[in-house]
Amino acid sequence: MESNEDKLLKSASPEERRRYYREEWDVKDIPEFISKSINKREFGFDHMGRGPNDRYRVFKNMDLLRKFLRYRAPFAAYSSVAFYDKPKRRDGWVKSELVFDVDAKDIPLRECSCEGVCNICLNQAREIVCSLIDTLKGDLGLKDLHVIYSGRGYHLRLFDEAVMKMDSDVRGQIVQYIIGAEIPKNEYADDGVTYKLEHFTIPFGYPQVFTDRTRYAILHLKEDTQLDEVNKKLLKDAIKNNELLKNNQWGIFKGKIGPQRYQKLIKSIASLNMSLVDAKVSIDLKRILRLPSSLHSMVSMKCMEVQNIENFDPFKEAVPKFVYEREG
Amino acid sequence: MVNVSFINPFSEEGRQIVREFGDLNSIYEENGDLMDLVIHSRSQDISDDESIPHNIFDLALKRIEWYIKKKNNPDFDYKKYSYLYNYKITKFDVIAFYLLTQAISVKFGPNSRESRVMVESQGKLMESRLGEMLISEKREILRTISNNLFAGEVKWTMFAELLSSRKLKLTELVLDRGNIILDKEDFMENLGNKLEKRDPDKMYQLLIGDQIKELLINRMIMQKTEDYIKDVYKKSMRQIEPNPLLLDLADKVSEILNQPVMGYGYRGSSGKVEASPLNQEAFPPCVKLVLEGMKSGGRNDAIIIFLTPFISYARLYPDVFRRNTTVRISDVDPELEAVEKEILPLIYEAAERCTPPLFEDQPQEKVNINAKMGFGMHSHIELKHEGETTWYTPMSCEKVKLHLPSLCKPDKTCKNIGNPLSYYIRKLYNSKFDNESKQD
Repeated sequence: MESNEDKLLKSASPEERRRYYREEWDVKDIPEFISKSINKREFGFDHMGRGPNDRYRVFKNMDLLRKFLRYRAPFAAYSSVAFYDKPKRRDGWVKSELVFDVDAKDIPLRECSCEGVCNICLNQAREIVCSLIDTLKGDLGLKDLHVIYSGRGYHLRLFDEAVMKMDSDVRGQIVQYIIGAEIPKNEYADDGVTYKLEHFTIPFGYPQVFTDRTRYAILHLKEDTQLDEVNKKLLKDAIKNNELLKNNQWGIFKGKIGPQRYQKLIKSIASLNMSLVDAKVSIDLKRILRLPSSLHSMVSMKCMEVQNIENFDPFKEAVPKFVYEREG
Repeated sequence: MVNVSFINPFSEEGRQIVREFGDLNSIYEENGDLMDLVIHSRSQDISDDESIPHNIFDLALKRIEWYIKKKNNPDFDYKKYSYLYNYKITKFDVIAFYLLTQAISVKFGPNSRESRVMVESQGKLMESRLGEMLISEKREILRTISNNLFAGEVKWTMFAELLSSRKLKLTELVLDRGNIILDKEDFMENLGNKLEKRDPDKMYQLLIGDQIKELLINRMIMQKTEDYIKDVYKKSMRQIEPNPLLLDLADKVSEILNQPVMGYGYRGSSGKVEASPLNQEAFPPCVKLVLEGMKSGGRNDAIIIFLTPFISYARLYPDVFRRNTTVRISDVDPELEAVEKEILPLIYEAAERCTPPLFEDQPQEKVNINAKMGFGMHSHIELKHEGETTWYTPMSCEKVKLHLPSLCKPDKTCKNIGNPLSYYIRKLYNSKFDNESKQD
């Protein structure tokens, strides 16, 4: 399987790119959320594999975009998450999609040890995306959500009007909420008496989000994991007792670890959670993002909208035909 | 019965008080009713005449003085200001509030330190007033205000402004399908069944109770104060001459804010931190990392929005977060000598060490560095351009974690530090203290 993936994940040659855009790609593969706002978005292209330096492109209609992609067959194609009145000058900002970028190669506590991406870490990225969706819908009540397989991970793109006008600071708060980047308070007062309630005793809201993310992290710890302020003994004890968390026995787990060491552990995990998504992408209102349906030439994978994230397999659905026809 | 406008001056009742107020010049006149209320307020401990506000003008200043002393003075005596918690002063207090906001707005504008202090003081005053009330009074007033402010479902998205200014944190709220849970009935219906081993009633009181309502109302009133300052400022731009009375009040506010601060702080922190040559050994780990040169992502942000404000404030105005005055670079470096000879070279060297060197492919970023120090979008730093842009204050640790997570490698000193600049000051103090101990 490994060697087959290595073959699959090779970069695409200029000829393969041309074949992809002429024979396999169809302009109709571009999701409606792009096509219906095409004249409000900035487009960017990477022609040589050195980054998207052909920026500030605009297309009046889908046919012009079709022709461009068909004949230029770029190394990578992008469109802005922002909607502008004058996209050519990135002027007159109207609103921006809210985006979360989960890149399989950057997620913390990977189960694999591959150099780039493989089916193991891509599946882990998929699991993370599923849990983020649960929080976005269940807690934040956001509904207009599209999942895109980016080629090396996933983009979650949200179009709820209420969030599209929000600035970077609010987006930053949303990121912190959904990834569990902050330890919830554990002291609550009523009538002048203070009570201690740990996050795992509150089965809803942010404490529950934090519990879920922390459980996921602790269950994925390995002996060689490096965590700030967590020594080898603490790491070993956390791994030794992590089965308890599968049955939600947090109190016993905390008891085995010791209350002070438990605080150290969750503090470190809260900071680790920061890299579950690339926060820079979420807070950047003028970001350009890989265009769904375009080719991720670095790994020869299609960037595509995912209809059912629960059982999406990129190695079955996002591999272009030319890869199977490669020699060797 | 506590008046609503004692907590919320923007209420209809508050606006009515303003409408009914007579001659503006009367705010200078000795006000026997006010003095009587002050003297007879519960728990008051005023032994000198100077501590008694004689008129509304004085009362306005006392509001600011209360906040500044409470915040900065370890020997703060709240009994000297107990009249501020006496709801019977409401009709004078509301006028004092509007006078203060208007004065600060026309003289200093919405982005000033004075405006920030006004907004914060209003929030703190409201919090203290509610804290002094009987529980039944507090519940009643919160209920009345929240019925006015929040009708029907309360969506978290309604509070974007508060979240943006970080007056409110999303993680502090109890959210369910986009709604902020405030009422007991909603809590029981939507979340109560998730609690298996705990009493839902008790959990509601602990997690939501009055606290979240109070938090939301408090933050909304702070936001409204900020918005009001902005509105007045916009209107004042169209006026030829602001009322001299307001300018006089604003000057007096400024005098209060300029008084030297007695900090709580850490050991040896009783004095001011003066501008002094940079001590790189005292820099926090994140700054040291950037000075070594960014090898991967975030190069531009690290140099421009992170390093530039840090280095410029560390060198010229390290005390920015402890003092209450707004300054420009030229106030502390009139010839821009430190900027030219110390600050820019250090930033440029860090930019050079990046991979690839920042100015090699993006020479225009030098303009952005100048802009972040308040000198507008120009290729050279010149005094005539100062003020065209804002002198950016250093990013908080929280923002660093979001924008540039790879920089955050905390060491022991980082504990309880909220801003890299505070780290620098603490390190400077510690080294000064250690040196003095050695000499002793």
